[in-house]
Amino acid sequence: MKAAGWTIFVGLFLGAALLMAQNLGYRQDPGWKAPAKAAARKNPLAGRSDVIAGGKKLFEQHCIECHGHSGQGLGHAADLQLPVVQRQSDGTLFWKITTGNARHGMPTFSGLPELQRWQLVMFLRTLPARKASR
Amino acid sequence: MSRIRVLALLLLFLLATAAAYAQESPYFVTYDHHLEEAGNLEIETSSTIAKARSGQHSFIAPWSEFEYGVKGWWTSEVYLEGQSTRHDSTLFTGWRWENRFRLLSQEHRVNPVLYFEYEDINEASRIMTEVVGHADGEQPSNATLRGIRDRELEGKLILSSNVGNWNFAENFITEKNLSRNEGVEFGYSLGVSRPLGGLATGSTCHFCRENFSAGLEMYGGLGSTQDLSLRETAHYIAPVLAWHLTENSTIRISPGFGLTHTSQPFLLRVGYSYEISGFGRRLAHWFKGGHS
Repeated sequence: MKAAGWTIFVGLFLGAALLMAQNLGYRQDPGWKAPAKAAARKNPLAGRSDVIAGGKKLFEQHCIECHGHSGQGLGHAADLQLPVVQRQSDGTLFWKITTGNARHGMPTFSGLPELQRWQLVMFLRTLPARKASR
Repeated sequence: MSRIRVLALLLLFLLATAAAYAQESPYFVTYDHHLEEAGNLEIETSSTIAKARSGQHSFIAPWSEFEYGVKGWWTSEVYLEGQSTRHDSTLFTGWRWENRFRLLSQEHRVNPVLYFEYEDINEASRIMTEVVGHADGEQPSNATLRGIRDRELEGKLILSSNVGNWNFAENFITEKNLSRNEGVEFGYSLGVSRPLGGLATGSTCHFCRENFSAGLEMYGGLGSTQDLSLRETAHYIAPVLAWHLTENSTIRISPGFGLTHTSQPFLLRVGYSYEISGFGRRLAHWFKGGHS
């Protein structure tokens, strides 16, 4: 196969892998919105880069089964790298982790200590950003 | 390779690879609103060890639970139980099938859960995962008790709230014995608990505070429709402690103290649970011919 053929083959392969990794099954629940007061909450750990490692550990313990190792989302779980997720405030993400959405598969994590939920938010901010494809 | 060997290997593989760090509550009797995550299987083995009141014999009552998250709002669980009484015998006492349904999808100040259980046990059952009605007076031998079969329906209204890092849970219990006319029996269970840790450390640790949660529960009988009084009812108060030993296993312990003369003076409960994350998905994948 010539170089151009290989390039097309590799490009197609990577494109297919990217499409599969992007979790096309994910659909946002329009009814799952944080109240304004919750959305405006400030992250008490903001600026604390030392807590991100703990957030990563919590993410691996609680989240990767549905959201994948890099937050790309598996099945119907949200792709956490998408701008539609990353644009949300820290308070909104904290509220969503806390309250869950059981009918759409998102468990409530209100049983975790508050600081650990904020640590999860801190880690989510370190996920690689991805441009929306749909 | 035989099907049984393949199944055994699959189970070993799942146990070795799957990990889930559940928000395990430390309670033994009280339920909170945290259900099993969809597709996860939790296998638990626990025991109730009792120093019996005068005129009765001490006993140990082990049970195993297989708890599966059918949906995010529905958890189903099967129990197998037995008991061994000092100076008497050891026997299998029956099985139970319980289902819990979370009524509200999202977190609220008070989160209601409905609980329904069918029990096919005999009168020798001693696991005491709920206390209802009035306490038994005499304690006949296991040989006598094993012949008295109880098919029972049990319902609970579970109310649970998380305030800050604290959980407050209240369970209201009704139980109807379908095998004979005992009326409808009532009971309660109350629990308060909290995780002991604050920030999570970035490394794996077994003994740090973030791996522990502790609390207190209180439970007892509230009589029955045949005698709606607290006379001769048993009540207990029990500190509880859970230690998340690894990412997917938890040890719980609870010494319980009887508060009335009809209660057992001392109960010690110990339990070990192991959670297999994504069990349903892995099983479905395997039966569809997948290779992971």
